[in-house]
Amino acid sequence: MTDWQWLIIDFFQALAAGLLVGGTYGLMCVGLGIIFGVMRVVNFAHGDFMMLGMYVAYYLVTGFGVLVFLGPYVGPVVGAALAGPVVYVVGWLLHKYLISRVTGARVISAEAEGHYAQIILTLGIALVLANGGLILFGSTPLSVQTPLSRESWEIGLIFFNQARTVGFIMAVICAIGLYLFLARTSLGKALRAAADNPIAAAYVGIDVDRSHRIAFGLGVGITAIAGGLFAMSQSFQPYIGFDFVIVMYAGVVLGGMGSILGAFWGGLTIGLVQQISTLVLPYQLQNTAIFAAFLIIIFFRPQGMFGRVWERT
Amino acid sequence: MANTRRALMWQYALIAIFAVVYLAIGSLVRNSYYQLMMTLVLIWATMGLGWNMLSGYSGMISFGHAAFFGLGAYTMTIAFVKFGITPWLGIPLGILVGVVAGVLIGIPTFRLRGHYFALSMLAYPLAMLYVFEWMGYQEVSLPMKRENPIEYMQFTDQRVYMVISMIALVACMIISLHVERSRFGRSLLAIKQNQPAAEAAGINATRWKMLAMMLSAGMAAAAGGLYAIILLVVTPQTVFGALVSAQALIVALFGGVGIFWGPVIGSAILIPLAETLHAELGNILPGIQGVVYGLAIIVIILVAPEGIYWKVRDRVLARRARTKVTSQPRPAEQISIAAGAASLPRPAFGQPILQLDGVSRSFGGLKAVDDVTLSVPEGAIYGIIGPNGAGKTTLFNVLNGFLAADKGSMRFAGTEIGGLKPHEVCACGVGRTFQVVRSFPRMTVLENVVIGAFVGSKNDDEAERLAYEALERVGLADQQALAIAGGLTTKHLRLMELARALAPRPKLLLLDETLAGLGHDELEDILRIIRQVNRENVTIVIIEHTMHAMVKLADHFSVLDHGRLIADGAPADVVRNPAVIEAYLGKKWMDRAKDQIA
Amino acid sequence: MLKIRSLDVAYGGLRALSDVSLDVERGEFVAVVGPNGAGKTTLFKAISGVVTPVKGEITYNGQNLLAVPPAERAHLGIAHVPEGRQVFASMTVMENLEMGAYTRRGQERWGELLPMILELFPILSERRNQLAGTLSGGEQQMLAIGRGLTSAPDLLMLDEPSMGLAPTIVDAIFERIHQIHTHHHVTILLVEQRVVEAIETCDRGYVLETGRVAMEGTHKTLMSDERVRRAYLGM
Repeated sequence: MTDWQWLIIDFFQALAAGLLVGGTYGLMCVGLGIIFGVMRVVNFAHGDFMMLGMYVAYYLVTGFGVLVFLGPYVGPVVGAALAGPVVYVVGWLLHKYLISRVTGARVISAEAEGHYAQIILTLGIALVLANGGLILFGSTPLSVQTPLSRESWEIGLIFFNQARTVGFIMAVICAIGLYLFLARTSLGKALRAAADNPIAAAYVGIDVDRSHRIAFGLGVGITAIAGGLFAMSQSFQPYIGFDFVIVMYAGVVLGGMGSILGAFWGGLTIGLVQQISTLVLPYQLQNTAIFAAFLIIIFFRPQGMFGRVWERT
Repeated sequence: MANTRRALMWQYALIAIFAVVYLAIGSLVRNSYYQLMMTLVLIWATMGLGWNMLSGYSGMISFGHAAFFGLGAYTMTIAFVKFGITPWLGIPLGILVGVVAGVLIGIPTFRLRGHYFALSMLAYPLAMLYVFEWMGYQEVSLPMKRENPIEYMQFTDQRVYMVISMIALVACMIISLHVERSRFGRSLLAIKQNQPAAEAAGINATRWKMLAMMLSAGMAAAAGGLYAIILLVVTPQTVFGALVSAQALIVALFGGVGIFWGPVIGSAILIPLAETLHAELGNILPGIQGVVYGLAIIVIILVAPEGIYWKVRDRVLARRARTKVTSQPRPAEQISIAAGAASLPRPAFGQPILQLDGVSRSFGGLKAVDDVTLSVPEGAIYGIIGPNGAGKTTLFNVLNGFLAADKGSMRFAGTEIGGLKPHEVCACGVGRTFQVVRSFPRMTVLENVVIGAFVGSKNDDEAERLAYEALERVGLADQQALAIAGGLTTKHLRLMELARALAPRPKLLLLDETLAGLGHDELEDILRIIRQVNRENVTIVIIEHTMHAMVKLADHFSVLDHGRLIADGAPADVVRNPAVIEAYLGKKWMDRAKDQIA
Repeated sequence: MLKIRSLDVAYGGLRALSDVSLDVERGEFVAVVGPNGAGKTTLFKAISGVVTPVKGEITYNGQNLLAVPPAERAHLGIAHVPEGRQVFASMTVMENLEMGAYTRRGQERWGELLPMILELFPILSERRNQLAGTLSGGEQQMLAIGRGLTSAPDLLMLDEPSMGLAPTIVDAIFERIHQIHTHHHVTILLVEQRVVEAIETCDRGYVLETGRVAMEGTHKTLMSDERVRRAYLGM
């Protein structure tokens, strides 16, 4: 085969890899999208909730082996799914006792100051989670054991890593599930209303504080599931959250603030950018490409792909 | 002023005492680990001061100061390892690199606000981290120079580093001290509190923020350079990592934001705490440092959001404030101006001092200001009224320079002011107050007003004289000048705003809803003062809703409705103008009134 | 039904309402008019619980309303149609109406109320799947009123429904409001800047000026009273 043909195959391989990874990134960004994109709460600890999800999945599947009976193919997927509710509870508690003290209606008026406190508080939470994780879990990189990560399906000349493909499918299913929840159920609609216009929501009798709490838990729970799916094909350690914070914000901003669907596309695009950049950039700089993309979006098109035009940075 | 010089000397003395005592304690410490820890406290305090210079003083929260720290560290290291340049030169070189990086980063990033700024700042050091790793600098050790160690800043006795670090820290403390007391520092504070109001008062926000960034980056780079030579090993993670940025922030936040003692206090408490915990429990609890830092910020942001220094100071001041505040004797010349003003006759209306011609401004499809032409004679009190949403505040924002007019021209005293930035408009002689008064609650009334005087004065003494004069004109000079602004009533806050706008002796004053929400007596007081200021030859243009006050105050009304001028003239005529009545009460009211007349 | 006595509200150091007293009897249509900054919206905010009064009391059907948390007040049968519409811009027209029926009474009577509302505002039926943020001002106002009605309220509070709307549309809206009052027997408390539209249809009215009740009267006495004009224009 000619060099040219290899190049094309490389490109499509990168595209495929980017798509698969992007699905999980997309789910991860959807979680942040609920919190930052819709509720406008700056959550600096979002990456660490994902890290928690990874460890929950790990302990359920490999560590304590609770899900061993499901076998090495189904177990990790279920483990990832279960990471969601566990981290939901953690998020819910943190919101109730800490985060709600710096968000909510009384803070909305003093926007700059409110955000300042949110940033600092969630930074503190991030440090506690990441380092607490270091204490509890140790620094050895782990991953959820599954033979899926070593095998690939082949379509034409393109390889689709099985673990990543399963992750992609699960991510899409979760995203669709979330979408249906928000679009069709009464609770989902109440959450959307409370995020869209808290004042009007209070007037129609919605408990806005409770809604924000549930939405927060949901946001971190969804990202935790994405983490669990990730853990099938990638090793992780307690500090992985910091690496992903920019990636997640890049995805949400790219997709457009206020749009949860946009957040998914944003994450997907970031995954593609990352993988395709490996064709021209050395492996260590793949995240640099994301940062560059993030900065470019913020400077030139702050409303992202699907956001409302009055979104100004 | 003798008072401030004494205060300055006192601060110098405190710094000297701190330095001497600290080094004395340090010289007694034998264990090299504790010596190192004491040195690190100083380095992180310097880093914290660097963060404080930008984020503490101006409110632009940066999560990325590790960028400058790392650049300082690597510049010194690479200069040393690759080119054999001694750290004595390498560290200043690192500072230079840091400053340049600050400018390059600042230019694009200052256009962002709030959390976007913080997140973007986070991206820079992380990007640098990856780049340096890729360039092959995973771990660089600085070689030992046994022949002439001192020439290469290598000392066997750790305590020498302590002294060097203390010198760097003291230098940064003194710089910060002077910045705080200078108009630079006051301007940064004004920008932090309310950037639009600061710009309208004549402060060039962009210039000051960039200067702050340069100083800030330089200090952080200095800290980084020292860190590298002391530890002798540099890895991208330890100098560009997120924890470095976090530590800068935490140390300043914990100790006290916006005051140079803050990072020193924060560093002195947190670094030994974290290091000791790490040393004792590091094997069983490997992340204990981070957990401590995290908990520290969570507690601080909820309990004392501005840091320990301020919390303690507020408590102490509250106890002291129970005793009466004694006022300073006012400079003698000012008294004659106050006595004379009340007896001045009203000057006759002169030439138009402000002329608007076909000014228009739209947002999307909405015409907020639509072809407005009006002419304000010098010496008049000119009211701009109209129902809600009529475009009055937008008109002011266009006049002031916050918004650009799409069409039309605006001439002030013959000069075209369209296209000027707010601080330039102010420098021309136009003052403005804002609807929401945001004072600097911890500063005195005088200090709040002095900020407005910067644009009209060459030095701080002159600014203070102008401020006193302005306070005289609004009647706040007696007891309130030295009162803390945080305890003022609404009426006094409004008067203080007025004084701040008057301080640079403007010829035109734009008042934005100064009378809203006041009780009857307070209203009368403020009306009297506005009339008095007007007699002293300040033209006034005022936006107001409170009609019954306006009809008593204004010489002339212009009525806006949906952005267009619908009436113009003496108040008595304007309020009977059918178009105006219709704008306020609705068409049907007019129709009925007409029916009844017919 | 609704009794307000000696209400004082202040925020940000400004005295928004001073010693305001007001009554709304079941089945009445009461209007509150006054110029900008008079405190009309603050009054509604106090009733809905967005702001807490410094002094005074609000009683609803004999119950102390100030003791009820804000999110619960809707469940008592008070519907607040806010100033500036405040529709849920990212949700469809139908979803907005569904949100109005969040209360239990609203859900029980959804079947009978929805057709009634769609008949009152046919344009909403036409645009039922459109995002509320894309509707015109007048359509959004109708949606906001419809949303208020789906909660099956005893008391419908309307805050400046004419704001920012063209005169013909304002006429149409007020006509509907009149219909809601007369045909569907809903008690209405209306706050408006446009005097005639409000006073024409009301039973009784109050004139607020700089936070105080300047005048009170029936629909006849308020029409073309000089004092009303003075409250707006100062002389």
